[in-house]
Amino acid sequence: MINAVLVFNNSGQPRLTKFYTQLPGPHLFRFADVSPKSLQDTTTQQSLLSQIFTLVSARPASACNFLPLPPLLSQHSTSNSTSSSSDYSDAPTQITYRHYATLYFILISTSTESPLALLDLIQVFVEALDRLFENVCELDLIFGFETLHAVLGEMVVGGVVVETGLERIVEGVRASEGGMKGKRRSVNEGAGMAARMEVGAGVGWRGVWVRAQAGR
Amino acid sequence: MFEKSLYDLIRGLRSHKGNESEYIQGILKECRTEVRSQDMDVKATALLKLIYLEMFGHEMSWASFHVLEVMSSNKHLQKRVGYLGAAQTFRSDTEVLMLATNLLKKDLSSASIPTMSLPLITLPHVITSSLALSLLTDILPRLSHSQPVVRKKTVVTLYRLALVYPETLRVAWPKIKERLMDADENSSVTAAVVNVVCELGWRRPQDFLPLAPRLFELLIEEGNNWMLIKIIKLFATLTPLEPRLVKKLVRPLTNLIQTTEAMSLLYECINGIIQGGIFSATENAGEGDELAALCLGKLRGMIVVENDPNLKYVALLAFNKIVVSYPALVSAQQDVIMKCLDDPDISIRMQALELVSGMVSTDNVASIVKRLMKQLRSSPINANELEDDGLDSTPIEPMADSDGEDPAEILIEDQRTSEMPPIPNDYRREVIARILDMCGQDKYSNIPDFEWYLEILVELIRLLPPRISSDTDLSNSAVESVPGTSLAERVGFQLRDIAVRVKDLRPEACRAAESLILISNRSALYPPVGSGADPVLGFVSWMVGEYSEYLVSPQETLNALIHDSSAALSPQILCSYLQAIPKVFLRIAAKASDGWSLSERAAISLLLARVVEFEETLSTHPNLDVQERAVEYLELFRLVTEALSSLQSDDRAPLLLTSVIPELFTGLELNPVAAGAQKKILPPEELDLANSINPRLSSLLQLSRTEEDAEFDDEAFQAFYNEREAAPPVKAQNLKASVPKVAEQLSYQAAEDPDISARRKAEKRERNRDDPFYIAQGNDDSGRSSPIDILRGSNGKDLDLDAIPIVDLRLDEIDIRAPGGQTEPSKQKRPKAKRRVEIAADENFDSEIPSSGNDSAPRSYEAGHAFPSGKPPRPRKNLLQVDSSGLHQLSLIDDANADRFNLQRREEEEAEMAAALKEVERMRLEMQRAAERVETAEGVDAEGTVVKRKKKRRPKGQTEDAQGGAAAEQPPEETAVVKKKKKKKKRSEEEAMRADT
Repeated sequence: MINAVLVFNNSGQPRLTKFYTQLPGPHLFRFADVSPKSLQDTTTQQSLLSQIFTLVSARPASACNFLPLPPLLSQHSTSNSTSSSSDYSDAPTQITYRHYATLYFILISTSTESPLALLDLIQVFVEALDRLFENVCELDLIFGFETLHAVLGEMVVGGVVVETGLERIVEGVRASEGGMKGKRRSVNEGAGMAARMEVGAGVGWRGVWVRAQAGR
Repeated sequence: MFEKSLYDLIRGLRSHKGNESEYIQGILKECRTEVRSQDMDVKATALLKLIYLEMFGHEMSWASFHVLEVMSSNKHLQKRVGYLGAAQTFRSDTEVLMLATNLLKKDLSSASIPTMSLPLITLPHVITSSLALSLLTDILPRLSHSQPVVRKKTVVTLYRLALVYPETLRVAWPKIKERLMDADENSSVTAAVVNVVCELGWRRPQDFLPLAPRLFELLIEEGNNWMLIKIIKLFATLTPLEPRLVKKLVRPLTNLIQTTEAMSLLYECINGIIQGGIFSATENAGEGDELAALCLGKLRGMIVVENDPNLKYVALLAFNKIVVSYPALVSAQQDVIMKCLDDPDISIRMQALELVSGMVSTDNVASIVKRLMKQLRSSPINANELEDDGLDSTPIEPMADSDGEDPAEILIEDQRTSEMPPIPNDYRREVIARILDMCGQDKYSNIPDFEWYLEILVELIRLLPPRISSDTDLSNSAVESVPGTSLAERVGFQLRDIAVRVKDLRPEACRAAESLILISNRSALYPPVGSGADPVLGFVSWMVGEYSEYLVSPQETLNALIHDSSAALSPQILCSYLQAIPKVFLRIAAKASDGWSLSERAAISLLLARVVEFEETLSTHPNLDVQERAVEYLELFRLVTEALSSLQSDDRAPLLLTSVIPELFTGLELNPVAAGAQKKILPPEELDLANSINPRLSSLLQLSRTEEDAEFDDEAFQAFYNEREAAPPVKAQNLKASVPKVAEQLSYQAAEDPDISARRKAEKRERNRDDPFYIAQGNDDSGRSSPIDILRGSNGKDLDLDAIPIVDLRLDEIDIRAPGGQTEPSKQKRPKAKRRVEIAADENFDSEIPSSGNDSAPRSYEAGHAFPSGKPPRPRKNLLQVDSSGLHQLSLIDDANADRFNLQRREEEEAEMAAALKEVERMRLEMQRAAERVETAEGVDAEGTVVKRKKKRRPKGQTEDAQGGAAAEQPPEETAVVKKKKKKKKRSEEEAMRADT
């Protein structure tokens, strides 16, 4: 299953954080001097986010889209060298990411998910956003915070993928948005957009493995 | 009053560049008041802002009650904000969750699909077992909702319910199965069910075998690729249980592999074949080889043809899975894999690295290591790399966007560029560890040429990355076989290990050690930055000491050992240094004594003075170990100094220097001993430690101690000062109590008789013969001793082996018990005529006692060297890991097998549930003043199981909820009525309460 979906920009600013499994409480941490109150989930989330950002931002664009586990997640893991056997487990073992212009889209998942399919899932996610926002850019996601969550809610429920069909996703979000249309327009006026480039055609930004899949 | 919207907040953030955190604090303060507002619009807006800020690490658990309020709003968009807040911030221990039950029930039965979806997608984030229990009956009917959108979400929500409350499946599974079996079902729903079944599948594969025909049907239909992938993954877990499946699967899978255009599907087909063990299962039919060839060919194609790093990566992943069982198949692809070792992408390299270490053999080890060494050499060590300790708790503040980046930039995936990044230290560490692993495997059985490997080891030292600050970080590196052992230690260990094990290579190893110890070589042989390689010094100093006869220049070595800078080394290394110094010194002295002359004497005196000076500085070392050794050797060296200065004639070196002290260090050769060998020594049968041997022992000891001390003064010192020939008693330790008295029962009767002291003395010698700390008097040159072994007097006596209580010690017998059954690796065929070497195996006993732990695996002759006794630490629950342990006990094959659950377990469960309900009740009462009651018996369905279960539990629930219990007793129809009534009442109560607040 998918454990978390994260989106952040090139400077590590989060744009979306969705955790499908709960983060552990403060007892996991070795710092005794920090008051437990300050070690809430949010703190763990933030450190996880910054660890992943550190990892992901260090990667050149030519690198593959799979990240090693950050220290927080690999704390006990019996190493991917020995456990790469057929055994599944509940522990997150793979981190898949894709980088679009200013944003990183990241999926943390267990081994029951197919790595290449996850890459496609991100692709579908972005395509759906693009459909809803028309030439989506980071600003859209900042201001369209709720819509962003709604799109994800149509695709993934409780860490399990429920929909990969672009049309149905968009349809579902539109149904739940109802009268939200006007909001987004005002966002764009205020932001003073520069010329938007063409995205939709986007053949170039699809990986090879997308070919037969994304549309189905 | 003017309230900011989320839009205003974000705009405000962008205009407050530089003091964002201040601005945010202001916003948070505003939100705190706004969220308490009576106006639902204001409340919802404030909540949305809080949710946005929560993403940046601003805690909002304090607002959970307000989240609940917004959730109960009548407007969908506000409700959505509330549910978003719940999904993002509620945890299973959030207390207000209990108040949400009725609201969730209501929304689940809402007529509007978007509203109904909200609880469905939020529940997985907040679900608890008690919540699952009370909501199950509301969620279940949604499985047959007219809209597929609702059905597919419900399926997944039920799965998440089952994770915390396994009983869910008992009622939900038949319905979920129905969805799967229904051929007319919407494809999205089928896919969702398959996803869920795949998640459940690996936990209890046996329960899903009955589904195989339907899944197979879906596989043949070739619908959605996403679904096919999941089906294949599911089949991979089923095939080991049902071998007949393999036969059926081979054809469609082969077909898919050959025809599909989707790389992900192709890859998962291959992956499924590997994981499901289909290679081996079909081997008889001859199809297996064909299939294997096809898969490997496709994988190879993924690496070679498609120039896509992702495909390369996953192909290597697949190879890594194959290599475990079919190393030969993978070795055939060696050429492409080797190329991946030099890939610019670190992740790919890591995978390739793992792969090559799985397929290493005598033939390819040299070329693999050569490649890796080239990588290490070509990139400078990154000294400034920050070692992130993983818990960087500085919060990320939302920032105004920097100028360089245009957030309005449309999301286009990056173009791939190709620049070569510097090697990160993590990778460097991994490479070095892998080299050590590969070469050290099975006691160096892969090494074709030890001289070459020694060179590699020496070079590795120079390439070591800086030491990691904390030891815990080492866990990152998976290949650290010994936790807490640094790479430098491992390199040093192997150097020493080779010197000990491979006798033929000892001169070379020793020379390598010598070069490493020399101060003048430090800059050339050690890494330019950091002191990460220092632990090596401890090992090499032992080597130069123990095998000092091979040193090229003992003088230089000694100079390096007693160099001023040495005193600053770590205590552990210093201890080793202190042991090596006398050994090397004696080597020099022995050489000098051959042609003893005035000049030699002067040189030795000079050297001695320097050694003494060095030891003096250490005699006040804060580390007690170091201090003790320094003081002991200092005394010894002072004795030598004295002997030298009181030397009357110059024609002969003092005996103390030429024979007495050297005997401390020479003796039996040190051999590698297996870690568990000591434990296997059987105690001799006649050994009875319970009974005292002589009841009058203590008084005798008392007596003899006083006598001995007197004697010691009289004889020993007299002897030392008057007769130079005699050995100096270093310290006659009284170890009577610990000397093994097993072999020969000593008579203490003699001590009674003061007249025959001569006899007593002889006996004392006899007693001390086995005492390693006792230096026998008047022994000749042939006496052999070793620092850790038994010093033996050499009055014509041979080694008295039967004095050692062991069963079958086979000294000097080379017997390599490599796990591979290969006895002598050096006998293997080699491309070039290499020097034949023998690798000494660990000494061990073949006793019948079952050894604890794996004593053949670790190679160690040093018991203290950190080989912890086997058991790995219990794996902790990982971050983000879902706990599904409850599912393992649940069987899905219901009804027929329901009685599998014995009564006792049920009762336990019921008691547990009753306790949980009580707790829920208590919390409720605490939080709501209004007397709401738990509905124990709500939602009695047509489903027989539910009714049965509820009834069984009721007696316990009754105590806390008489009303609910009474309701349960009524027939189903009536219950529903009661329930409705109750609900109404509850709702009104809730509203009243909200008005209060």
